[in-house]
Amino acid sequence: MIVVRDLVKHYRAGDGSVVRAVDGVSFAVEPGEMVGLLGANGAGKTTTLRVLATLLAPTAGTASVAGCDASADPVAVRRRLGYVSATTGVPDRLTPREIFGSFGRLHGLDGAALADRVDRLVAALGLGACADRPAGRLSSGQRQRVSVGRALVHDPPALVLDEPTSALDVIGARDLLDILTGLRDAGHAILVSTHRLHEIERRCDRFVVIHGGRVVAAGTRDELVGPGGDLEQAFFAAVSAAGAR
Amino acid sequence: MTDPIPPAAAPGRFTAALAIARRDLVEFVRDRRTLFVTLLLPMVTYPIVALASALGLRTAVADIESRAATATLAVAVTGAEALPFAERLRAAAASPPRGGPAAADWPAGFEIEPLPDPVANRALASGAADVVVDAPAGTLAALDGDGTATVTARLSTSRDAEPGAARLWEALVANVAADTLARRARGAGLPRAFLEPLRVTFPDGPAAAPVAPSIGPTLVGSVLVLLAVLTLTGAFYPAIDAIAGEKERGTIETLLMAPCSTLQIVLGKFLAVFAITLATLAANVLSIAATGAAAVRMLPAGMSMEIAHPSAGSLATLVAFVGLAAIAAATCLAVTTASKSGKEAQNTLTPVILLVSALAGTALLPGLRGKAWLAAVPFAGQIVVSRLALVGAEGPAPGLPVPVLVALSLASAGALTALLLQGTALLLADEDILFRGPDAAPHGLARPARRKVPSVAQGAIPVVAGLALVWYLQGLAPGDLRLSIPLHQGIAVILPLVAMLAWQRVDTRTTLGLSFPGRGPRGAVTLVGAGLIGAGLFFLSAALLLALGGGDGSPAVRDLTRRLLDLLGNTPWWLSAVLMVLLPAVAEEALYRGWVLAAFAGVSPSRGRAVAAVAAQAVVFALAHLLPERMPATFALGLATGALRVLTGSILPSIVLHAVHNAVPLVLVAMAGGPGGEQLAEIATGGATRLPPAVVAAAALAVVVGAGLVGFAARRWDRGRSPVR
Repeated sequence: MIVVRDLVKHYRAGDGSVVRAVDGVSFAVEPGEMVGLLGANGAGKTTTLRVLATLLAPTAGTASVAGCDASADPVAVRRRLGYVSATTGVPDRLTPREIFGSFGRLHGLDGAALADRVDRLVAALGLGACADRPAGRLSSGQRQRVSVGRALVHDPPALVLDEPTSALDVIGARDLLDILTGLRDAGHAILVSTHRLHEIERRCDRFVVIHGGRVVAAGTRDELVGPGGDLEQAFFAAVSAAGAR
Repeated sequence: MTDPIPPAAAPGRFTAALAIARRDLVEFVRDRRTLFVTLLLPMVTYPIVALASALGLRTAVADIESRAATATLAVAVTGAEALPFAERLRAAAASPPRGGPAAADWPAGFEIEPLPDPVANRALASGAADVVVDAPAGTLAALDGDGTATVTARLSTSRDAEPGAARLWEALVANVAADTLARRARGAGLPRAFLEPLRVTFPDGPAAAPVAPSIGPTLVGSVLVLLAVLTLTGAFYPAIDAIAGEKERGTIETLLMAPCSTLQIVLGKFLAVFAITLATLAANVLSIAATGAAAVRMLPAGMSMEIAHPSAGSLATLVAFVGLAAIAAATCLAVTTASKSGKEAQNTLTPVILLVSALAGTALLPGLRGKAWLAAVPFAGQIVVSRLALVGAEGPAPGLPVPVLVALSLASAGALTALLLQGTALLLADEDILFRGPDAAPHGLARPARRKVPSVAQGAIPVVAGLALVWYLQGLAPGDLRLSIPLHQGIAVILPLVAMLAWQRVDTRTTLGLSFPGRGPRGAVTLVGAGLIGAGLFFLSAALLLALGGGDGSPAVRDLTRRLLDLLGNTPWWLSAVLMVLLPAVAEEALYRGWVLAAFAGVSPSRGRAVAAVAAQAVVFALAHLLPERMPATFALGLATGALRVLTGSILPSIVLHAVHNAVPLVLVAMAGGPGGEQLAEIATGGATRLPPAVVAAAALAVVVGAGLVGFAARRWDRGRSPVR
């Protein structure tokens, strides 16, 4: 569903130097699978996800969603992908219902179909009590759920989330991950980037660890973690080994 | 939630734009700042302005009337014939003139006294006497005979003297002369009618004849400029909120993920901002209408606000200003797109609003009102057309009917809006602008972080600083161009640029393009091509200027032309070359094609951003030249030099192009001694009324050949070395 092949993204910094943000990353996420993209700050996670979300053009390699290439046909990718970025906010002066409605219209939904879709999202995300309150007055957890709902309004088969729990407390993070697990079980392909490993250790089917713009480890939890260890130790080991190289 | 939803139909061409516009509009109207600026500001502004103006007018009229009613002229007469001449003056003062200019200046009373010299001098010094007249021996004899009596008069410089004493004294002297003339005519046996060859009577009584003076035409110009500025203000907050606000709130990425082109997103944003701007325009118009109706009652008696075509003129104004609202919305959007936050957008947009307000003000310049092409100039054109529609032509008419001018203004507004939206779409999708970090300094005096080239905002700073310096120092500018050209270049161009280069830590070589445009023949071919374009461009610009507005320019342009001709005629050729060719070419290219263009384009720009940067710096270059008539030519020069810089990566071809462009007048004046010299001199200084078709054709050929040479050399140019490509 989500396929990244030999992805390279270089850009020039303000001082003119070339930054190799992503330097040959490859991985795939199948339908009904949740994959964790792990890496420290500056590892290249956000850049990879932005290329997938058609917000950045790759320097080389490809990123595709449901067979559509992000560079060649960005509009087709956007119709098949839901994207929640690390810095995603919600418009303060609109209510969750209005936010879902406006993005539904952008995706060609209208009338009863749109109203039905908005009602389902409000119910499924537990936003019933605040669906008609301006988003500026919602809690961080509620706002993040609105953000996820906005990405789901067109029912995309693939979902990409960049640090979705970073602004949430423990309960908010658990609720959100419950929602994502439900979506995975319903057949969505989900790619989640995070550096809060303990939250997703038992939730994701597979993990891809990137460091310095390259994949340094990939596999299921059991493949990455040795007997008696945990994901955090495995992550540090992979990153340290890559650093030593 | 995850049930399959009915497959959504692909959004129509404008579905996405309309959905975005609808969403933004809901957001705007829930923002109290926007509502205040849109609706309340005009409702408050016009009544305040009207009240202040009406009160000022009433006070001024009352002041003038009371002065005229109470003015008294104190005259001290000295000299050998002080006594009889004073009597003669008293006689003239006792019989005020029945008509003519003297009657209008007749004071309420006279105090005429013969005084000894020392007393008269003291009175003059203290202001007790407004005038001291010395009547020498023989004055009366000359008056009563047929000679000319010569008296000397001195006016008091004391603050206590009557301010209009000179005028009143002249009125009295004119009356003495009229009395004397009548007496001489009687003495010569001439009939009384001899001195009055024409008399005008008003059969309906004098009250019906003079029309009440109307301040309408004068007022219309100022109100239209205010309307333009306030309409622009209506776009201010919505535009900031529309894109910079989305970036600040972190919602722009979600919008860019919409299944439509960036242009459709920009179109949606534009529609929302345009709608608010139109609402501002409507609120302004309503406020003007209501205030106008109330203000009529506040006018001093005998004054009106009548205008020639209130109904048709208002309709034309409304239509023209819809175009202005569109450009205002598109301009504000385009300017704020490069900003990361609302505050940054506000800082960028404020100087632009001031610059555009100045452009709107140029519509009222006396020499420009009759020019048809001005209708196509954004912000100024709408005012020119509306003013013409409301009060009619006051000087030479533009030669086109008002509906055609309105259509021309609308077409120009539409085309410019479309271009601005395209540019905004290019900027919005630009990765560097979208994802760059905030421009923040650790404290106020810290130098900015080291960069390869300046940021977009840093790019505009020296231009704005230069214009501000020119404005504040204009009072000190000498009239002599030999001094004022270097002074102007120094404070408007060189000083801001040097200050920025010293302060900002940028790569000077990359920013200013300090490299040779290719090795060996390739570089030489590029420079020759640039020179040809420069020469051709001068004549094409001159032809365009003539086609647009004829030979007679505004007083400002005529004055500049006269001074340029004077400079060329009275200065050694090498000094003219330094002042008109070398200095502007090097300094302006370093600032505009170096600093500004590098900032607007960024490091390794996409094709779209490079095009937008060249166009934007050309607009800034044209605006910075301040004279509206010169703007099309300077814009074309900016485009050509900017394209060369981007294409070759070097500043040198741009300098050569600019230098040759500016050198043409010098060459023409040097050749002006030969056959057809006068015409050449006129072309050189922009004073010509037409250009021979052969000259225009040759100029076009030079530009085509020059562009061909540059293109040929640039294709073979090592692309990796160009920093602004």
